[in-house]
Amino acid sequence: MNRVILEAIALERRFTTDNPMFGTPTVVHAVNGVNLKVRQGETFAIVGESGCGKSTLARVLTRLIPASGGAVHFAGRDLSLLKPAEVRALRREIQFIFQDPFSSLNPRMTVGALIEEPMRVHKIGTRAERRARVGQLLERVGLPAQAASRFPHEFSGGQRQRIGIARALASEPTVVIGDEPVSALDVSIQAQVVNLLADLKEEFGLTLVVIAHDLAVIRHMADRVAVMYLGEIVELAPAEALFETPRHPYTEALVAAIPLPDPAMRRAEARVAGELPNPIAPPPGCKFHPRCPYAVERCARERPALSPADAQGRQVACHRAADLSLSGLAETETVRSPAAQRRFDLYAKARAAEATTE
Amino acid sequence: MSDTALLTVRDLAIRIRGAQRNLVEEVSFSVAPGETLCLVGESGCGKSLTALALMGLLASPPLEIAEGAAEFEGQDLLTLPRTERAKLSGNRMAMIFQEPMSALNPAIRIGEQIAESVRRHQGLGHREAEARALEMLRRVRIPAPEKRLREFPHQLSGGMRQRAMIAMALANDPALIIADEPTTALDVTIQAQILDLMRALRDEAGTALIMITHDLGVVAEMADKVAVMYAGRVVEAGPMAEIFANPQHPYTIGLMSSMPSFGARTERLVTIPGMVPPIATMAPGCRFASRCPFRAAQCAQVPPLTALDGHSVACWRAPLERLEEPA
Repeated sequence: MNRVILEAIALERRFTTDNPMFGTPTVVHAVNGVNLKVRQGETFAIVGESGCGKSTLARVLTRLIPASGGAVHFAGRDLSLLKPAEVRALRREIQFIFQDPFSSLNPRMTVGALIEEPMRVHKIGTRAERRARVGQLLERVGLPAQAASRFPHEFSGGQRQRIGIARALASEPTVVIGDEPVSALDVSIQAQVVNLLADLKEEFGLTLVVIAHDLAVIRHMADRVAVMYLGEIVELAPAEALFETPRHPYTEALVAAIPLPDPAMRRAEARVAGELPNPIAPPPGCKFHPRCPYAVERCARERPALSPADAQGRQVACHRAADLSLSGLAETETVRSPAAQRRFDLYAKARAAEATTE
Repeated sequence: MSDTALLTVRDLAIRIRGAQRNLVEEVSFSVAPGETLCLVGESGCGKSLTALALMGLLASPPLEIAEGAAEFEGQDLLTLPRTERAKLSGNRMAMIFQEPMSALNPAIRIGEQIAESVRRHQGLGHREAEARALEMLRRVRIPAPEKRLREFPHQLSGGMRQRAMIAMALANDPALIIADEPTTALDVTIQAQILDLMRALRDEAGTALIMITHDLGVVAEMADKVAVMYAGRVVEAGPMAEIFANPQHPYTIGLMSSMPSFGARTERLVTIPGMVPPIATMAPGCRFASRCPFRAAQCAQVPPLTALDGHSVACWRAPLERLEEPA
C-alpha cells in the first residue's frame, strides 16, 4: 500500500453567515470533523450533492482557505505549522483544476503567460526554459504550441480546460485537485479530458483528488470514493465496491438516481424524498435520517460515527450498516445487444487505427 | 409520419440572416399525443434552436427561419401571426427551461406567476386563478404549497423552482411541452425526482413531450422516440429502444462510447476526436466527416436520412459491418 500523501484529521471549516451585533451568529459547518487519507498515486474522489461541503473540503485540504479546526498533513507535515515561505513551496506541490476554465483563467493574459505564471512564481528555470516548457505542456494536453500567443476567449470550453490542466502541471505538482474538472463539458469532450487526466496521472505520477457530482465519471476515474452529506463523510470505499454494494442509505440513493444510458436498466422510482436540509440547522442525530427510508428511532437521537465496515478499508457512518442489505449497480456483463456491441467494437477499432493523439 | 401526429416538423432550416450556411437544416420529426421525443446532441447541434423556433422565441433578427413548416393542431407555427402565436404559447404548448431562475420573474410571487397565465388564457377570475395556482403546486408535489404560493423564486431551492416552472407550464393543460435540458442544472437525486414527476404528469394528462438533452441516461429513461442531432442536422432517428440496441451512425456510436459505461470499467474511454468545427468553415457534405473514423470519398456529398433496420440514419457508410466484409 502506498504511503499517505494527504491526510485530514478531524478537519473542520465553519462559516459565519450572519453575525448580528446582539444574539448568536449563524454558523454553517461546511466541513464537520472529516478524517481521510489520500495515498500517493491514487485517484481519490469526493462526491455529494451541491451544498454538501465537497468544494470547501478541497479548499481546506489545500489551504486555499484556512481550517477552523483539526489538521491537514501533507507528506507527513502539519500544514498549520508551516511558515509563509513553506506555504508557498507547498503551492508548488498541490495544484488546482477548476470547474469553469473561463472564470479561472485571467482573460487579459495570453495562454503562454498563464501557463508560465506558476513557473515564474516558483522560480523554475530560465525564461527560455520556461517558454520551451510552455510549448511542451500545450502539446502534451493536445493543443498546438502556437496557442501560447493567443487569449483564453479564443478557445472552446474543452480547450480552455486543457489550458487549465497545462497550467496546473507547470509547477510539477505531486497532487492535483480537480473541482468538477469535466462537468461543464460536452459528453464527447468530457471523455477526451477524462482520458487526458488518466494519461497525465500515469505519466507524471500524480495523485488526483477529484470532486464531482457525476457518479458515472467518478466510477470510471476513481480508485476510492468518499461520499459527503452535509459536511460529513458518510461512506468511504473502493470505487468498485461503493457502486456495487453501497453500505450507506445515502450512497444507495445516489447510485439509484443515476440515469443509466441503457433502456434495459430503467431504474425504479427515486426512493429518497425531499432535498438537502438547511445546513444552518441540520437535523439532530444522523443528518440523513429525515430523508432515509431505513431510519429508526435511534437515528434521530444519536450521530453515527464513521467506522470500519470491512477488511478492505471501507468505512460507513450508519447505525444500521450491519443489518441493511442495500442494492447497487451490479457489474453485470454488458446488456448491450450484439448489434450495438459489434458497432462499438468496429468504432473502437477504427479509432485505434486512426491513432490520433488527444 | 402518422396522421395522428400532434406536431409535424418538416425540413426546418434556421440561419443567421445573410449567412451562407444554415445553422439547422432539414430537420424533420413528428410527435403524437402522449408521446415523448428526445432531441439529443451536444452544444451547438441545433437542438435548442429547433425548440426556440417552435415556440416562436427565436432571436430574430439575426436568426431567421429559412425554410420548413411545423404543423401543430392544424396551424403552421412558423408562419403564424404574432397575436395567434401568443394565444398558443403557455396555453396549448408550453416550455420548460434549464435555468428556472432566469425563466421565472424574480420580482413576482410564485403563485401570481402561475395565476397570471391561467387568467390570461382561460379568462379565470382572481380567486379562481389563485385556486388553480395552488392546485398546480400540489400537483407538482411542492411541500407546503400555501406558503410557497406567496414566496418569490429566490426563496425556493433549484429543484423546487423547477417544480414551480413545471406547474406553470402545465397550468393550462397544454397538449405539448417542450423541455430544454430541464434537469441538467440539478443534483442527481433531485434530477431523479423531477424525471419521475415529469413522467407521472405526462402519463396522467396524456401530454406530448419534446425533451432536449445531451444525456443519454435521461433519454433511456424518458424517450419513446429519439432524434440524434449533430451540427444542425438529424443524423439518426427512430424508436428509443432501437437507437440503443442498434445504433448506426458513427456519431451516435461515438457518443455512446464516450460515456463511462456501466458495464465493466474499462481503462480508457473510446472518444470522438476533435470538436465541432464552426459551421461556416465546414466542408460540404456530411458535417461529421472531419471527426469520423469511417470517412470516405463519398462523404463529400450530404448523406440523406434513409431507412435502415427500423429507424433512419444519415450515413453513407451504414451499416458499418458491411465495411468488414471482403469486397
